[in-house]
Amino acid sequence: EMHSQYERVGADVTMKCGSMDWDAAVTWTVNGTDIDESHLNGSYLILKNVNLTQTGPYSCYEGSSWHLKYQTYLRVGTPPKEPVLMCRSNNYPKGFYCSWHLPTPTYIPNSFNISVIHGTKEMVCEKDAVPKNRCHIRYLQLFSTVKYKVTLTVTNALGKNFTTLTFDEFAIVKPDPPESVVAKPVPNNPRRLEVSWQNPSSWPDPESFPLKFFLRYRPLILDQWQHVELSDGTSHTITDAYAGKEYIIQVAAKDNDIGTWSDWSVAVHATPWTEEPKHLTTEAQITETTSASTSSFMAPPTTKICDKGAMVGSGAVAVCWTAGLVVAAYSVLFI
Amino acid sequence: MAGADGASTALQRRDLCARGIRLAGKMRSDVVNLLEAYAERQGLDASASVAAVEGVPPAAVERWDEQTSTQRLLENLAAYRAFRALLAQMLEQHREQLGEADAALGRALAAVLLQVSAFAYHLEELLRLESRGVPGEEEEEEEDGLPPQPHSLFEQKLRGLGVLRELAQWAVRSARDLRQLTKPSPGTGSAPSLPESP
Repeated sequence: EMHSQYERVGADVTMKCGSMDWDAAVTWTVNGTDIDESHLNGSYLILKNVNLTQTGPYSCYEGSSWHLKYQTYLRVGTPPKEPVLMCRSNNYPKGFYCSWHLPTPTYIPNSFNISVIHGTKEMVCEKDAVPKNRCHIRYLQLFSTVKYKVTLTVTNALGKNFTTLTFDEFAIVKPDPPESVVAKPVPNNPRRLEVSWQNPSSWPDPESFPLKFFLRYRPLILDQWQHVELSDGTSHTITDAYAGKEYIIQVAAKDNDIGTWSDWSVAVHATPWTEEPKHLTTEAQITETTSASTSSFMAPPTTKICDKGAMVGSGAVAVCWTAGLVVAAYSVLFI
Repeated sequence: MAGADGASTALQRRDLCARGIRLAGKMRSDVVNLLEAYAERQGLDASASVAAVEGVPPAAVERWDEQTSTQRLLENLAAYRAFRALLAQMLEQHREQLGEADAALGRALAAVLLQVSAFAYHLEELLRLESRGVPGEEEEEEEDGLPPQPHSLFEQKLRGLGVLRELAQWAVRSARDLRQLTKPSPGTGSAPSLPESP
């Protein structure tokens, strides 16, 4: 029979060889390897100041017969520290979820128990299959001023710990970020970018519980963001972009009335429309068209290179690199 | 004609709901500011848990999404009528206790009372539009008069906190209720209409 024991890191551990007398001749092994006699006190195995590497199967054999007398699996670990608990409603008004983790690993199995109390009522938090450290609750009441109290207890063989969160219904409402953010240049408008996005798919009823949005954007070459708050709609046209500069754009969402802002969406990049440089009429070009000799002047390439990084979603931005260099020179005039 | 009337009613309802939503939003913002000022003046913690206050209509509701339009309007109207009386009582107490000493708080209370009254009227308009009877206030007052005031000053202050907190909650609920009213629904529900006001 394989026994099991849990010991704290740094503890001194004494293992008895089953029912063998103290003065019996025995051999101890760990992971099939003999343990030096210096660790023995009679037939007892003494492990001082155990560490994590000493986790493993320990076996004790009677001296000459090598009969297995005792087996145990030693697991070295720590009692749990206070767990970190978070509760959030990203699907208001359906319900909320709580998720948790330990700030440091214990190296031994832990079990978690969560209790949710609303006033005098105990509610059931249904554990998610994936991830394991999460559970969700359906709201039975809406618009309640009574606070929710969530207590998470973590227990392992070496101890237990707990944490409590108290909050009201509105405070934990935080949508997921907007989805499918797309930014496009506006033809013939060198200072505009058209941005559109969608409500997060996890938000169940945007018609009854509309979201408002916060858009931020900046040219890659600058650190400061511009911000725009939008109370309705899922699109916006930026009208003050620097011509020819690549922009980074993000959107966040919040319920119109309650809760907090979502995290920022995935960033999208876009560059405003720029005019195609007019065909440069230089003597070299005129010479090229009238003679077969090669010229050191290279006409702008007719093949456009699509900047894949400029777009997310449909649409495309075509940037001609050499034209871009020319535009960059012009755009200095606009800044 | 019926079609045109129906369309006209729908437009009126949408318009009233839209205005009501804006009213509710402004009211909530003012109530939240008042709540913080009130808590500070009274030496209370605005976020402290307060037990349910007798006579204050709780905004909490189960199966909110299943309510009919009529239920929503009637519950809202009953609530705001109650808050109108409660706020008038708070204002009276404030004047008796502090007089002109805290005129700003008194003005803020009066302003919210005005908004509550306006919102109650707005709800009555919506109920008329739904061709539902507007319940008489006299009957409600006879049945559910204001409960007697707590004796101690501290209890009065706590009660005031409870009133304002619940009112802030109602303002959020009302905006949601009105948005539900603007959605196409299968019907206006089977809740019996209350007696017409005289």
